[in-house]
Parts: sequence; structure tokens; C-alpha cells
Amino acid sequence: MENNGRPRNSARKRAAKGPNQRLRQRTAILIILILLIGFGAAITRLAYLTLIQGNALQEDAVDQQLKDTTISAKRGTIYDANGKVLAESASVWQVVMAPAYLKDDKQRKAVAQGLSEILELDYDNVYEKTQQNSYYVVVKRKIETEARDKILKFIDTLQKDYDCGNAVELLDDYKRYYPQDDLASCVIGFTGSDDQGLEGVEYKYDEYLAGTPGRIITAKNATGTDMPFQYEQNVDAENGNNIYLTIDETVQSICEKYMKQGIVDNNVLNRGVCIAMDVNTGAILAMVTVDGYNLNDPYTLPKEQQKKIDALPKDKQSAAESEALSAMWRNKAITDTYMPGSVFKMCTASMALEEGKVNDSSTFVCGGSFVVSDKTIHCHALQGHGTQNFVQAICNSCNPAFIQIGQLVGMNKFCQYYQGFGFADKTGIDLPGEAEDSFWKEGTMTDVDLAVASFGQNFSITPIQMVTACSAVANGGYVLQPYVVSKITDSDGNVIKNVEKNIKRQVISKETSDKMNEILAYNTATAGSTAGYVAGYKVAGKTGTSEKIGSKVQSVFSEDYIASFCGYAPADDPQIAMLIFFDTPSGGAYYGSQVSAPVFINIMTEVLPYLEVKTEYTDSELEYVDVSAGDYVGLSVSEAESAAQNDGFTTTVKGEGDKVISQIPSVSSKIPTGGNIVLYTDDNSKSETVTVPNLIGYSASEVNSVASEYGLNISFAGAASSDVISSAQDIAEGTSVSPGTVITVTFSSASTFND
Amino acid sequence: MAPRKKMILKADINRIYDDEYYSEQKIKQEKFFVRPSRQRKMKKTKWFSIGMGIDLPFCIIILILLTIGTIMMFSASYAFSYYTQGDSYYYLIRQLIFIVIGLLGMLVMSFFNYNKFHRIAPVILGVAYVSLLLVLVLPGTNGVKRWIPLGIFNIQPSEIAKFAIILFFAHWASKYYNKMQIVRYSVVPGVIVFGTTAILLFLEPHYSGIVIIGILTVLMLYIGGMKTKYLAIGFVLLVAIVGILAVTGGLSYAMSRMDGWGQALVYTDEEMWQTTWQTRNSLYAIGSGGLWGLGLGQSRQKYLYLPEPQNDFIFAIVVEELGLIGAAMILLIFALLVWRGITLSLRAKDKFGKLLGIGLTSQIGIQVVLNILVITDWLPNTGISLPFFSYGGSSLIMLLMQMGIVLSISRTANIERQ
Repeated sequence: MENNGRPRNSARKRAAKGPNQRLRQRTAILIILILLIGFGAAITRLAYLTLIQGNALQEDAVDQQLKDTTISAKRGTIYDANGKVLAESASVWQVVMAPAYLKDDKQRKAVAQGLSEILELDYDNVYEKTQQNSYYVVVKRKIETEARDKILKFIDTLQKDYDCGNAVELLDDYKRYYPQDDLASCVIGFTGSDDQGLEGVEYKYDEYLAGTPGRIITAKNATGTDMPFQYEQNVDAENGNNIYLTIDETVQSICEKYMKQGIVDNNVLNRGVCIAMDVNTGAILAMVTVDGYNLNDPYTLPKEQQKKIDALPKDKQSAAESEALSAMWRNKAITDTYMPGSVFKMCTASMALEEGKVNDSSTFVCGGSFVVSDKTIHCHALQGHGTQNFVQAICNSCNPAFIQIGQLVGMNKFCQYYQGFGFADKTGIDLPGEAEDSFWKEGTMTDVDLAVASFGQNFSITPIQMVTACSAVANGGYVLQPYVVSKITDSDGNVIKNVEKNIKRQVISKETSDKMNEILAYNTATAGSTAGYVAGYKVAGKTGTSEKIGSKVQSVFSEDYIASFCGYAPADDPQIAMLIFFDTPSGGAYYGSQVSAPVFINIMTEVLPYLEVKTEYTDSELEYVDVSAGDYVGLSVSEAESAAQNDGFTTTVKGEGDKVISQIPSVSSKIPTGGNIVLYTDDNSKSETVTVPNLIGYSASEVNSVASEYGLNISFAGAASSDVISSAQDIAEGTSVSPGTVITVTFSSASTFND
Repeated sequence: MAPRKKMILKADINRIYDDEYYSEQKIKQEKFFVRPSRQRKMKKTKWFSIGMGIDLPFCIIILILLTIGTIMMFSASYAFSYYTQGDSYYYLIRQLIFIVIGLLGMLVMSFFNYNKFHRIAPVILGVAYVSLLLVLVLPGTNGVKRWIPLGIFNIQPSEIAKFAIILFFAHWASKYYNKMQIVRYSVVPGVIVFGTTAILLFLEPHYSGIVIIGILTVLMLYIGGMKTKYLAIGFVLLVAIVGILAVTGGLSYAMSRMDGWGQALVYTDEEMWQTTWQTRNSLYAIGSGGLWGLGLGQSRQKYLYLPEPQNDFIFAIVVEELGLIGAAMILLIFALLVWRGITLSLRAKDKFGKLLGIGLTSQIGIQVVLNILVITDWLPNTGISLPFFSYGGSSLIMLLMQMGIVLSISRTANIERQ
């Protein structure tokens, strides 16, 4: 028995402590080990984790606890000037996946199988996505109701059979629709897969249209369902703003209709452009690039082009395809430059007038060519125009005359006006991709350059610059900033931006402008359809045919040409300016007067009435103006005759009855003033017919006399003036029709081309 | 010898259990339950239990810990319980039933004459071995064999083993107290018992169980009187092995093999990332708690991020909700428990009681420390529950019964002070 304890006085004490001395010591050490070292280590470790590592750990924890879901904002609608929808977003859905919730390969395969089947995706691709350790993987965007219903069912099945319904989710999404398909395609543009604007207004105004996506931040438990306590933060999606264009859908579609026709008629190889601008504000009423493309399907090339690309070697296909696509998307009206040609003469003439270098009595001699600094420059009329006054020089579009006018203006002034008309700067139109002009650098311009520049050659401008300058000539000299967006409203309709007209400067005086209006109106009136004459309206305009110098020969002609026409109406109170140009026509005609002027006439004939521009017929025109037939049915024969004569028609009575039972042309039909109305008084008389004669190849008055011989009525289409010849009739020769039937006869010009 | 006996008689204590006079005969004379003497009935409540009464402070500390533990267990479990059992109260109700059973068990044990264990200690060790072998035969879950299913209860053989080893060495050291300096009586049985148990636990596998059994073995041998020299040799050996492993790079391999020990926040590969999920989320919870915590019931990590938050990792949720301050206060209460348990055990009237009481109380302290080191990724994540906090029927009942044994010891330890 050991007793290591120190000797004690008390035996009891010794006995109590003695044998346990070692135990007590060791217990004390034990307590130190457990309580001081053990608990100390535990507390230290906890303090380290909570106080020093706390923030980092908490961040990681919050990262996994919070799920951030993006709510798509609805993109704003694009309207035309009258509130017609051009582009809008409709609700669709996107399928997203949280593959982190998938626990085994069986679930992954089931999800991949189902999704790839419903969404028509590649199985391997989807299966790969199911293996990611992520809570947000987009499987497919913009799925429609049908696919969405299938997905919802599939989610139920997943939940039931595989217990992983939380791995697939549907989120709101929007899809862009363009109800008008290809209308104004190059202006409106389209959006990409993330609803971002890629072209046109969609691109330029993306920040307005896009809106702000909302977010839902929720605390989720580890399986992705919401935690039962309030830990949610919603940021509502802010829908995009709506945009009202200055483009008028009606004007736009009229322009597109005739531009497409022009492309086909003239076998135009390099597309065509038509811009209609409000001359007083700079608002673009129509901007056409033909051929456009279907905005709902912007990645599909025309079939022929696709075939050509498919024929290429494989490695070149994708490059060729993207090149073709970007060419198709190009808004030629602002991104391409061209030489304005004779159209530019309206600017040269304006500056000469403004500077007082010419007046009505100025004369210019044209001998068919003109020598500048030893260089001979030819006129399009090789025999020469002889001696002309200023107005005649414009009407003749005489190059030597304009070389002389240019020389009168002088190089410095010419360049100043060039800048003044806004050719040196971008117009600042609110569309993407506007190109810059290409003009001689300061000090490099020679006399020869000035000579050719006077009639619009050897420098390039954009179509939008030309139409802006033309508006300045028309509206009293004000150079405006063209624009396509007139108004932006928020989703509740509050206006947040109203675009006002922006006058950059006045380049010529009102007087000069008035004078130019007069001269250009005279030009169209005398030259008829070749210069854009529109019956009933005073139209001012100038044709242009420019060579595409340096361009590869594409057309059937020795050179490639651009056939253009720039004009405005009405000449005495200009409202709408329009530039039309066709790049590389190859259908037999290439002069602006042949190719572009007829299109201009067709468009203006429809657009001006639509814009409610007042008609002002001259006496000779009145002859050909159509009026509406009255209602004479039910009247007695004598009453009907007098009523029709009062309305300005002649009458022919058929049958033996007392009362008129029917009439041809019928009520409200358009017939020319002084047309013949056939009144039927019994049923027998109605069976009478006449055979339609040939009406092609006659002048207007000849057509009229033939028609009255047959008791038929004629409606005049195209430019009806003294020097035109009928080129088509809508009811073919030899057809049997009732007397009084209205036959539409189209007239076109046979005269020489002045440009 | 005689004077000693006389001395004890002087002390006027009804029963004397001194290991040095331990005899079969005496055990036969003893009643199965100890009852407080009527004469010694307390007249008024005092901080120290008087006579044969239980130690009140120790008992109160247990009840405090049990209360806090149950509240925190409910808070930690209700989301998990709701999602997995469809009932937020599933674990609470069961835990409350276990607590009632456990408290009854504690009460019964506090009246039970702990000296009965002296005799059956080797038998209980045998039972522990059988259960450790049995669990290896039974099919485990996810390749881990730690539980013996018994209907509503799951019994963890390592829980039995811990108790059995404390009991056995208390028995051994008190029986051979004088011979504990000899290698044959201390180091050899220690190595044999620990070695065999460790092998069985390794097969489960239950690495933290090995650690805790190892610590308990050493602890019992140390307070049982083993020479410090051997302890030092063992310690040096351990350090040398760890050192060699660290130098050869085997340590990190071994660590990563042990359920991704120390890898929780480092992404290496997907499998490891999944393996360390629980530990990582435990660290997230602790980190989120900060100094003051998110508030009672405000844990976010318990929403299925931290798997089974009511079990071993409950303290991570405690830290998340109550912060470092709350955690420190709870640890302080645990420290008081350990302190009180050890000091009262030292007053026991026999060596067996002293050793048993110290062992059982220390076990709680060790388990608390190890649990916190596990949830903070300083030890491999392998099943060390937090006493009074973690959910679990068999371990809680067993824990409370062990506390009952300590209380039973306390009855003999209290001397009325005059």
C-alpha cells in the first residue's frame, strides 16, 4: 500500500487524501486537458469560423440559399404613324432546367429523353446539360402554348415517376411578331434570341424598347422550393416603351408595291430604294429597300440565293451565307452611297440662283460636249441642245449647261453649298448604319472635278442625304434632320419623348426655293411621264441616271447605271418629297426617266390622294378626270336622261320600257367626265353586247373617239397628257362586254429621255 | 489495515466501499438499491445534497442542458422533419418520449448501487464486443455499419463500447490499483482492449469512434494510475506516425479517405464535393451565425442544406441561430457539468466510484469537444453526437442512465457539512 501524500496531523485527513493523491493530481490534469485545452480549442475554432471566416462563409451560404430568377420584360410595341402595329411581343415560355437536383443517371436520362422529344432537340445535347451542376440551364427559349402544355404534363410525369419534377421549370418569355412580315423590314429591323434589337429601329431604340428585366430573389431550401419564411425580394419587370414611327403603313405599302413592280419590270440587279419624306418636318413617311426580307424569319435567304450558296464548297458556305444575310438586312436607303447624277442638278441650280449667278434670261450653249482643262465632257444629247435659257437647261438636263452653271458658282461656293445641303455630314437619321458621303478632300478638287460634280457625278452620297437636300430645295431652304420615330410612350401610354422637327440650317432663301419649285414643276409638266408628271397635281421633280464608275459590270449595258428620280408635290406648297432609285437595272431601260419616273408617278398617284393633297386639274386634264356615275335606276327615261346630262354624261337608252331598270356603268363607278351612260329600260335590251376594240397605240384623244364609237367608257391610267400613247388596256381586244363598260387604258410616254 | 477501517467507521457512513477491502462477501450484504437514510432526510434545500441525496447542482445542470438541447433540437429539426416526415414535430415528440424514458432511467440508476457494475464490468465489455461484431454482420446503409436496428430504436454498438470501456477500466484499475504501474496490468490490457475495439470500429467504419475510444482508454488508464512514461511513449509514437504520414503525403490521403476530412471548402472533384456536402454546409451555418447569430429559429442552413441537422451537426445550427455568444454559453454549461461531475466523483467513497464517475463525466466533455471539432472540419465526419442535443433514442437514454450512475455515485460522495 502506497502513501505518497505528505504527512498530515489528522489521521482522518491522511486517510482521506493519502491514497488518492495521485488520482487528484491526475484528475486536475485531466480537467485542464478537457476544459482548458479541449473546450478552448473548440471555442477558438468556433470563434475563427464565426468571426474571421464568417463573412466569406455566409456569402457562400447565401449564394446557395438564394435563387435569382429573371423575369423577362415585355418589349415595347412599334406602331406606324397611325397606330397600326408593326412589331409586338407576345407571351411565350422558356424551358429551364436545374440539373443540380437530378440525383442519378436514371433521372437524367428521363429528363433528357422527354425534353428532347417535346422540344425537338438533340438528345445527346440535352443529356449533356443534365449533367451540369447548376440550378439554371436554359433548354429552349420561346416555346409556344402547345409545347408548353406538353412540358407541364411532362413535369407532372417526372414528379410522379422519377421524383424530380423540380428539375424542369417554365419561365415567362416573349416572342417578337411582325404582323406585316416584310413591310418596312429595313427600317423596323428584328430582334435576336435574347430579345435584343439587331437591326433598324429595333436596334437603334433597343434601350427604349427593351424594358428592364425584373428579378425574383427567393430563399430556397436545398431542393429548390421556397423556404417557409419571408425572404423574398421582387423587382418587377419594367415593360419596354412603345415606339410610334413616322412611317405610314399605307404609304409604305404603296411604295413597296410599285418598287417591287419596278424591280421586276426592269430586272434590277442591285435592289432599289424609295424614301418619302415630309418636306416640312423631315419625318420619313416611307422608306423602302426592295427586296426586303420577312422580319418573322430574318435568317432565311431568298431561295435562289440559298441555292447558289448551297452550290458553293462546304467551307465557304457559312461565310457566303452570313455575307448574303447582312447584305439582305442592309438598309440601302442610308447605308449605301451612290452618285446622284442629274438629280443633283436641282442643288446646283439652287445654289446658282441663290448666289444670283443665273436668272431667267441667262443662256447656255450646248454643242454636245464641253471642254474643261483639256478634257472633253459629253452631253447625253450628242447632237447638243443648242442655246438654252436656264429653265430649258434644267428641263433638257444639259450637262454642258450645268458645267457652265457650276463654273459660275465657283469651286468654293459649290463646296460650301454642298456642305450646306447637308451632304458633307450624316443626316443624323435615327437609324443605325448611316454611311458617309465621299467627296473630294479640301484642296484636291480640280476644275474637271467641279465640272462633273455640277451634274452629280464622281462623288457619292446616301439616298437619305439626297432626299433631305431635295426637301430643302422644296421647303424654302431648310435643311432638316430626317427621323423615323415620332413618339415614344411608356407601357401606360404616357409620352416620354416627342420628336420635334429639327432644322439644321437654311441653305437657300424662300425665293430661290419658290423659283426652283416653279422650274421643277415646269420640268415635269412639259416632259410628261418621263419627268414624273402626275395628273391633277403640280409635281416638281428631276430625273437622274448615273454611271456606277468603277463598279463591276453586272447589267446588260456597257456600264452599270443607277436610275433615279427625286421629286416632290405639290410644287406650289410642297408636302412630300420622294427619292426613287434602282441600282443596276438590266431590263432594257436604264434611264431614270424610263425606270424610276413611272414608279414615282404610280406611287404619287396613290399617295397624294391618300394624304388628301388637293387636286388642281388643268382644263386639258379635266377631260381625263374620272368622276362617279350617278344613280339613275328607277327614274323615268326622260328624268334619267336629264339627270345624267346634268352630271356631265351623255346617255344612250336601250330597250322600250318607260323606266330605267339598270345602268352601265353602275352607280359610283369611275368614268371620265363626259362619258357615256347606257340606260336599260327592259330585260331584252340587257343582252346586247359590243366587242372591245384594240385601244393600244393611240393617243388619248384617239382612244376617246374610238371608245365613243363603240359606246364604251375609258378610264385613263398613267400620265394622261398630250404626248403619251396608250400601252395597255385592262379588257382585251375581242372580249364581248355590255355597252358603257369602263375600260382602263394605260398611257406611257414615247418621247425622248432628257437625262 | 485496521486503523483505516476504524477511520472509516469514524466517518459514520453507513456503507463503505473501498476497493482495497472489496470482497464477494460484502457485495452480498449490500442492498440492490441505495436509499437515503430517513434520519438524513434534508431539512432544507442546500446547494450540496446532503447525506445520501443526489448532487443537486449536477442534476440541475443536466436538466438545463437537456432543456436547451431539446429546444435547439426542435429548432434544428423542424424543417428537415417537415420535408422528410411530413410533420415538423416528428423528431421533437420522439425526443420528448426518449427524454421521459431517459429521465426515468436516470432516476432508477441514481438509486441503483453502482457497485453492482464492478462485478459485471467484464460481462458488459463482452456484450460490447458481441454488438460490435454483430453490427458488422448486419447489412449497413451506404456501406456504413454503425447501427443495430431494433424496431423503433437503433442501437449504436460504439455507444455501448464507450460505456463498457470506461466501466471495464474503472473496474480493472480499481481492482489492480497497486499494480497499475506494471506494464502487464496497464499498457497490455489497454492495448488489447483498445486495439480490438479499434479494429472493429475501423471495419464499420467509425473513425471518430476510434478516436473517442482511444482517448477514453488512455484517460482511464491515466487516472487509473498507469505510469506517465508509457503515456508519453504512446504520445510520441502517435506524433511520429502522424509526422511520417504528413511528410510522405499519406496524411492528406488518409484524411481525404476519411470522408473528405479537411476538404470541405476545396472543390477537387464532384464526388468529393458531394461527400463533403454535410461538413461544408455545417461550416456555412457556423459562419452565418457570426457573433450574435441569426436568432432562435432563424437558421437557413437547416432547410435541407445541412442534412440531418438534428443529429451530429446540431451544434452548427445552434451556432447559426445563437451565434458565438450562445455557443460559448452552452459550452460553459457543459464545462460546469464536467467540472461538477469530476469533483463530485472525487468524493466517492471507493476507487471504482471515483474512476467510473470521472470516466463517465469526462466522456461527455470529450464528446462535446470532439463533436465541435467534427462540425468545424477538424476531425473526420463520423458520428460523434452532441450529448443532450443530438436526436437519438438509444444514445440519449444511455447518456441519461450514465448520468444516473454518476448521480448514484454522488449519493455516496456527499457529506453533510457541519
